[in-house]
Amino acid sequence: MQRVLFLWGIYWRLIGVQVRAQMQYRMTFILEVLSSGITLFLFFLSIAFVLQRFGNLGGWTLGEIAFLWGTVEFSFGLMDMIFSGFDPATFGKQVRQGLFDQLLLRPVNITTQVMGSEFVLRRLGRIAQGALILGVALNLADIQWTLGKVLYLPLIIAGMICFFGGLFIIGATISFWTIESIEAMNVLTYGSGEMMAYPMHIYPDWLRRTFTYIVPTIFLNYYPALYFLDKPDPLGMPAIVSFISPLVGAGVLVVALRFWRFGIQRYQSTGT
Amino acid sequence: MQAVLSPMPEVRLFWELAQRSFQRHLTYRAATLAGLATNVFFGFLRVAVMTALYGTRTEVAGMDLASAITFTGLAQAVIAYLSIFGWYDLMRSVNSGEVASDLLKPLGYFRFWLALDLGRASVAFLLRGVSIMLLYLCFFPIIVPDRPMQWVALGASFILSWLLSFAWRFLINLTAFWTPNALGIGRFAFGAAWVLSGFFMPLRFFPDWFQTFCYLTPFPSMVTTTIEIYLGLLTGPALVQALFVQLFWIVVMILACQRVLRAGVHRLVIQGG
Repeated sequence: MQRVLFLWGIYWRLIGVQVRAQMQYRMTFILEVLSSGITLFLFFLSIAFVLQRFGNLGGWTLGEIAFLWGTVEFSFGLMDMIFSGFDPATFGKQVRQGLFDQLLLRPVNITTQVMGSEFVLRRLGRIAQGALILGVALNLADIQWTLGKVLYLPLIIAGMICFFGGLFIIGATISFWTIESIEAMNVLTYGSGEMMAYPMHIYPDWLRRTFTYIVPTIFLNYYPALYFLDKPDPLGMPAIVSFISPLVGAGVLVVALRFWRFGIQRYQSTGT
Repeated sequence: MQAVLSPMPEVRLFWELAQRSFQRHLTYRAATLAGLATNVFFGFLRVAVMTALYGTRTEVAGMDLASAITFTGLAQAVIAYLSIFGWYDLMRSVNSGEVASDLLKPLGYFRFWLALDLGRASVAFLLRGVSIMLLYLCFFPIIVPDRPMQWVALGASFILSWLLSFAWRFLINLTAFWTPNALGIGRFAFGAAWVLSGFFMPLRFFPDWFQTFCYLTPFPSMVTTTIEIYLGLLTGPALVQALFVQLFWIVVMILACQRVLRAGVHRLVIQGG
């Protein structure tokens, strides 16, 4: 217990340093939050325009698409803020430059240190536009609210944060051995995020199966969305799969952390 | 000796730089392959979205499904060629101080970067652009232009779109002469173009007022013009006009680059050593 509190204290102190440092350039910070929020929102605006002309996308209306889009953008933004220490793009560079070795020499849990090594505050822009789109969804989509749905919504957000965070950690671990397969991992991470913005039944079978059985993307927001929006399942899975999103997310994170620990044990420095 | 005797040493230097840059970019094989895989993957997603949007419709805003699918391929094909997701090389050279020696080179600063980008863009065009379209040709029923004149116009438009995109990227990168935090401005400037250029969705699908707004900016001349020529949506006088609009924006942008560069060089403080 004391150990956990100690690590928690260290984590907050590390993040506090990050936040204070980023707030030194206040104008830059505000500009970056605004610019990422606006540019990302333009994508959603395009889809809104296009749906105005086409009416629906695979049978889903704008409000329903906004539910998918808003939940995934909001969660991905939050994850990208919290887990950016593991972002394979920056973490891989640290490994190559030998900066990771410095962390290993310190007498503090390595996972806590990497978690605390980066906290990208400007992701607030992405988080805010995700929240805005989710707001649009709650307004436009005719959701019949029940207590279950109210309680479940934060859980699917948490599930997605764990899921994407897990993918980041797997990518970071792979960078111990090779930097060239990182791209493939990025396709799974960012590709998952992109796919989840649209109803998964529109994709060709092989693609959807890959993102069901190899990467369990489909369970994180598509199936929960069917429950929230009271839509029938065109793919004929058992009804229970609408409710496993937090479990799948947590599962991916646990597996990722196991792989991470395995990677650390096998880690050999580049020597630079 | 030869360089001195050459009637136009600047032109020789320009081509030499472009060639070196071309060869350098050819060597990034792993990166090219990874980029190609990513583009193809996202292309597949876009095709699925287009197919679902069309449903049973045969034509929307003058485009049939085959055109829409071809659109997604062309959009992926120009990502690397036009550095759609951003280009910060010049900014980085300002932050690192390399800019000092670059400004002393016996070639104008704009032309120096233009030569480097020509090499980069040519490799991207061949290895990323052409290969994506060939892969699309294997998987999807895409459209291929069949009139020779269309290919000529397409070639001209491709070159113009690159020139315009380069001048735009150069201009945005010049902000680094003023502020060490130019990255945020760059992200916004490049991000705005994703939608306004017609890269994400065909501009034709948008409401009229938004299309009008987009066409008031230089961005459609970077992406939409070329794609619409390829798809045969721009023909005759409209096509000629579109090429002239591209040319107009290039002139405006290059003039802006020159003015801003002149002001920037006076302001520039080289950091470090």
